[in-house]
Amino acid sequence: MGEKKLSYGDVQVGDEAPVISHTLTRTDLVKYAGASGDFNPMHHDEVAAQQAGQPSVFGHGMFSMGLLGTALTDYVGVGNVTRYQVRFARQTWPDEVLSSKIVVTAKREEDGKKLLDLAVTLSNGEGEDKLVGEATAALP
Amino acid sequence: MADGAASQEDVLKSIIGQPTGKSKVVVERGPVQHFADAVLSASPIYHDPAAAKGAGFDNIPAPPTWPFAMEFSGKFAEMQPADAPSGNPLATVLGPLMAKGGLILHGEEEFLYHRPVEVGDVLIGDGVISDVYQKESKGRTMTFICSETTWTEESTGEPVVTARMNLIHRS
Repeated sequence: MGEKKLSYGDVQVGDEAPVISHTLTRTDLVKYAGASGDFNPMHHDEVAAQQAGQPSVFGHGMFSMGLLGTALTDYVGVGNVTRYQVRFARQTWPDEVLSSKIVVTAKREEDGKKLLDLAVTLSNGEGEDKLVGEATAALP
Repeated sequence: MADGAASQEDVLKSIIGQPTGKSKVVVERGPVQHFADAVLSASPIYHDPAAAKGAGFDNIPAPPTWPFAMEFSGKFAEMQPADAPSGNPLATVLGPLMAKGGLILHGEEEFLYHRPVEVGDVLIGDGVISDVYQKESKGRTMTFICSETTWTEESTGEPVVTARMNLIHRS
């Protein structure tokens, strides 16, 4: 079960997924708040965020993980991810350009499953990492 | 203040193994579609049942990070398990820490998928505090609280997805 996007035989260690680049907007954060139920005002209320000492509203960590997850499923196919882990390295800010980087680090066959291990990161235009993590996909 | 420090350590360790809650969640099509839009997916699989079937799914699947958000739209009060634990071990630790100020940060998140979550799933989540520890960093105390929630299919008891997270209180 899962979308067929990649063929195991065609993938090499070191291959990179197509990059997703997105300029973060306050509308993205409002949409994510409404879809996830995370209404922490730090993510949508500029006045509250500044009163709390932040320069502006900032992104939900789980929005970043969701965006990087979209880059991941666009590459390996929806339904094929078996593990997805990230560390939240830095906050994200409106107008930053967030770009995905997904690299195949290993190919292995286990219990008849064709698995890819991937290093996943999301970073801004200055090359600062926002998310650093790992994923595994089982190709159909 | 050695006694105070010891008792704080005891409070921290006391919540390891404590349940964080038990909940029943229904996965519905509208919220999954909105969530997929919110994480900027353009895949028709999250919107169109025919596209989902064409990709090998019985029903529309959910994006990878959906389990973190699904209680918001799918946890209905009258369906909740009668044996859900009461009390909140996170509050036991975070309450006294936050009373002295500081910030709560989401440190890490991990999902282990046994199969994709799909529209129509009825899932039971069982959460537990897996570890609590402190580290000193740049003159601040960082308190790490790690939890794990296992989601199983209600009808079969089969595992679907396990979510692990750590929250950090920074003094």
